[in-house]
Amino acid sequence: MGKVKLKYFSRIRETIGKTSELVEIKSTNIQDLIEELQAMGEQYSVLKGRDFAVYSAVDQSIVTDVKTSIEGAREIAFFPPMTGG
Amino acid sequence: MLNKIIVAVQKSDFDLDSELEALKLKTEKAGAVVIFVGKVRDLEDDNLRYLEIESFEDLAKNQIKEICDDAANKWDLELILVKHRFGRLKINDNIVLVITCSKHRKNAYEASEFIMDYLKSNVPFWKKEVADKTQKWVENS
Repeated sequence: MGKVKLKYFSRIRETIGKTSELVEIKSTNIQDLIEELQAMGEQYSVLKGRDFAVYSAVDQSIVTDVKTSIEGAREIAFFPPMTGG
Repeated sequence: MLNKIIVAVQKSDFDLDSELEALKLKTEKAGAVVIFVGKVRDLEDDNLRYLEIESFEDLAKNQIKEICDDAANKWDLELILVKHRFGRLKINDNIVLVITCSKHRKNAYEASEFIMDYLKSNVPFWKKEVADKTQKWVENS
């Protein structure tokens, strides 16, 4: 599918150990991408959302369905529940 | 459609007096101005050293704009201003400012609460409390 910029925030950033990275991916949806990343290293298993819900945003749009297509996406962000205000 | 929507996601503080003075010029038909300020508070069982607020700035700004548009569609408002800070903040530092202006107070009150409820869990900010004994990411209660 090509190179995509992945961004990580908050607890996910701390666990993965970086704020962003450019990665060559094959997956065409969020669910498959999480599997693909997990194969790159155990730290990515945080994206499975066992300890807390994991949200994602594709090209700055928050997605709620992990089956959402990421074909053609340039940036995908992962983050835990938001706590603004 | 309300076109007086002002949104900022910023590291710097905001000054309430100058914000209020500036918006008077834009809201001559408004008789009610509701102001909400969220600030950093100390913890119950530990001493907070600082609060670190992380943000996904562009997305946060877009999400706030979207909720302001929703509020403008639900209530008859003259102006909405939302400024949310990120970075390292100390006890009593300002976090967020929401100002809603309307002809009469009910619309401004309701819109203010609606916007704040949304900000709590739908805008990409994350707070980490760093205290004497512990440090932890805040979870929504």
